Amino acid sequence: MSGYLARRLLAALPTLLGISLLAFALLSLLPSDPILTWSEGMIPASAAEMERLRTALRSDESPAERYADWLLALLRGDLGASMRDGRPVTTLIAEALPWTIVLNGAAVVLIYALGLPLGWALSRRRRPMLGGASGLLLLLSVVPPFAAALLLQRLFAVRLGLLPLQGTGVGGGLAVLPHLVLPALCLALSGWGFVARYARVAFRSAMPESAIAAARARGLAGLSLARHFAANAALPFLWMLGGLVPALLSGSVIVEEIFSWPGMGRLLLRGVEGRDYPLVLTLVFLSGVAVLLGQLLADLLLPALDPRARAPLVGTESGE
Amino acid sequence: MTGADLSSVMVERLVADFLVDQGPDLQLVPSLAASWERSADGKVITFHLRPGVRFHDSAPFTSDDVVFTWQKIVDPASRAVGRVDAFLPIASVEAVDPLTVRVTYKEAFAPALRGWQIPILPAHLYRGADFATAAANRAPVGTGPFRFVSWDAGRSIVLEANRDYWGGAPGLAQFVFQIVPAADTAFQALLAGEVDYARLPAARQASLMDDAAFTGRFRVLRSVPLFFYYIAWRGDGSNPFFADPRTRRALAMAIDREGYVASVLRGLGEMTDSPFAPLLPAPRARGPAHDPAAAAALLDEAGWRLDPKSGLRKRAGRTFRFTLLVFTGGEDHVQFSQVVQENLRGLGIEMRIERLDWQTLWTRLKSGDFEAAFSGFVPGPDPDSVYGLLHSSQIAGGQNYAAWRDPAVDAALDTARHTLDDTARMAIYRSIESRVLEAQPYAFLFAPVVLGAVNGRFEGAIPSPAGFLGHRPGAAALRPAVGAPQDR
Repeated sequence: MSGYLARRLLAALPTLLGISLLAFALLSLLPSDPILTWSEGMIPASAAEMERLRTALRSDESPAERYADWLLALLRGDLGASMRDGRPVTTLIAEALPWTIVLNGAAVVLIYALGLPLGWALSRRRRPMLGGASGLLLLLSVVPPFAAALLLQRLFAVRLGLLPLQGTGVGGGLAVLPHLVLPALCLALSGWGFVARYARVAFRSAMPESAIAAARARGLAGLSLARHFAANAALPFLWMLGGLVPALLSGSVIVEEIFSWPGMGRLLLRGVEGRDYPLVLTLVFLSGVAVLLGQLLADLLLPALDPRARAPLVGTESGE
Repeated sequence: MTGADLSSVMVERLVADFLVDQGPDLQLVPSLAASWERSADGKVITFHLRPGVRFHDSAPFTSDDVVFTWQKIVDPASRAVGRVDAFLPIASVEAVDPLTVRVTYKEAFAPALRGWQIPILPAHLYRGADFATAAANRAPVGTGPFRFVSWDAGRSIVLEANRDYWGGAPGLAQFVFQIVPAADTAFQALLAGEVDYARLPAARQASLMDDAAFTGRFRVLRSVPLFFYYIAWRGDGSNPFFADPRTRRALAMAIDREGYVASVLRGLGEMTDSPFAPLLPAPRARGPAHDPAAAAALLDEAGWRLDPKSGLRKRAGRTFRFTLLVFTGGEDHVQFSQVVQENLRGLGIEMRIERLDWQTLWTRLKSGDFEAAFSGFVPGPDPDSVYGLLHSSQIAGGQNYAAWRDPAVDAALDTARHTLDDTARMAIYRSIESRVLEAQPYAFLFAPVVLGAVNGRFEGAIPSPAGFLGHRPGAAALRPAVGAPQDR
């Protein structure tokens, strides 16, 4: 197992290098000038002033030189400082990441809390009412987040005045909770239909009526019945989470912007708008690393849950 | 000082005082400098600082802080882009005594005082620290009417009243900036009562002004910022169209900006016929009026004749077909460009519209890689600020995107800079203005009216071209409305 892990990690290295090169190339292709971006908002910058800054800040280095500088710093564990803010990129990420985790975590909880029971009920027998509900959820999932956000804001905050419209409030802790509801709901809308449909199929194939009847016949009931099918049923949901999380994260860029949520999505948007190279580079690179780690984790968990996936793994390891 | 977004500029204004400030009508007013005088040859300005002023940490404000602030602004490592220009002609800044600063210019520099509209930094907190990462950047200390309390990254900035303010305690106990990136969200938050001030979305301005329920709840602040839209015609010969002033004049006459402002903006805009529009004494100069027939005649005269087959104008086998660059994020920008497209099609000119994000547009403008571009200009309160748009030295790297070159205008702009007598100086700008209106290197268009709304719980906001916070007294004049409940 440890040899397998080491090999997987080694194989990931070229991928990582590729991600870093791609991220850097994409940013270099954007037509812009970092010095220009400091003189934001059409504040006149004279020719003399631009020239003076350019010389002072060596911004005329070639892209290859800058890439090499960045890669070497990365190897030393130095992610650089934001060009606009002056603070280390790691500080900015440390501020934003918890907000994104809270928002997406809440969305996942909301999605599963409604999607799983609905999927279960749908998998048991045909009920036209339930079918209609899941159809409606599927319909809701195609409403673009920006439109859903505006509707939710107008209804719950402006019209009814039940929930805060945006932001996180001034305090921390539980005071943030009411502010979390609308953005999390907005994200969950896009996931419910998908999860309910997926769960119906998954429950049907992992726990067919016949298998449950057979288990009952062997005297299993209640908790022990659930435990009997737990591993079987968990597998598809793990995979589903793998598809859900990236989708949520990309949706949360827009949702964070509309709801003034201070997370990673907004950090990325501000970075791209301001051509904050060190910040955007790090964010793109880290998201690549996160996807890679997710795949690795799934590859390691799958054999742990599914004996069929374990067999070839043992085979290759014994072959060494 | 490193940030350039709206909120950091506003926070800076509330926490720090400027050495010299501007009133609501943009006239120069004393602030940390209680008075000043200029030597007869105009090269030396002596500032007499206000005595007894203290920073929020109770350190005294002295001439040392002024000298230090100047040093930091001219230091390229500070990246104080957009503020350096007025400081490049300075030879030296000296602290004569704790309350006197003497600034010597290399030569007489007429707009010099405007350059000193800058917040003064506390030297004792920055000296010895790395300027880009100093603690005082995240917890600013100034002499201003509000003191800094907290900054929650990406969420809010909280300020409280400076009860010991030299200009008298402000009317509000607390001032909270909420960071709301989406403009429509900010407006919805105003309606929901979560914020007390927001700009009105451009598309809804006119209808909201007619809405009695809205105007009853909010005080609407109307202002015309120092700003105008223009189309730059790249006239350096890199395309066959815009080097000829007759063609540029014809296009200016073809564009129906009056119609656009009246119908689409429902009158919420002012015509800008000249880049100097509000900066010179009345009366305002007038550019060519909207006249499609005269425009057609002028195009014929310039050799662009209608080709009956294609319906487009041609000259020497070349069809009049060009591309206009437009910022895709601006509703005004895109809508107005479509109006221009329609106007020009009526004259037999095909204009394509290329929509770009701000950074890309800016880069294309700076590199001269375009035929025509729709953009905006923010002049300062002094007519010298139009230098960047018109002087030929500003073609490479500056803002003279039309690449317009007129030696007479270059010389006059330089002379005006060094002319201290105000009447003589304004006369020079008048002569420049008439040459510009004759040559039409840019089509000068209009300035949109900006409407903001303050919750009726507050009063005392003074609208200004600089915004209701961008002047003295600004935020210090805000107070709870008489008889209204107050909790913020």
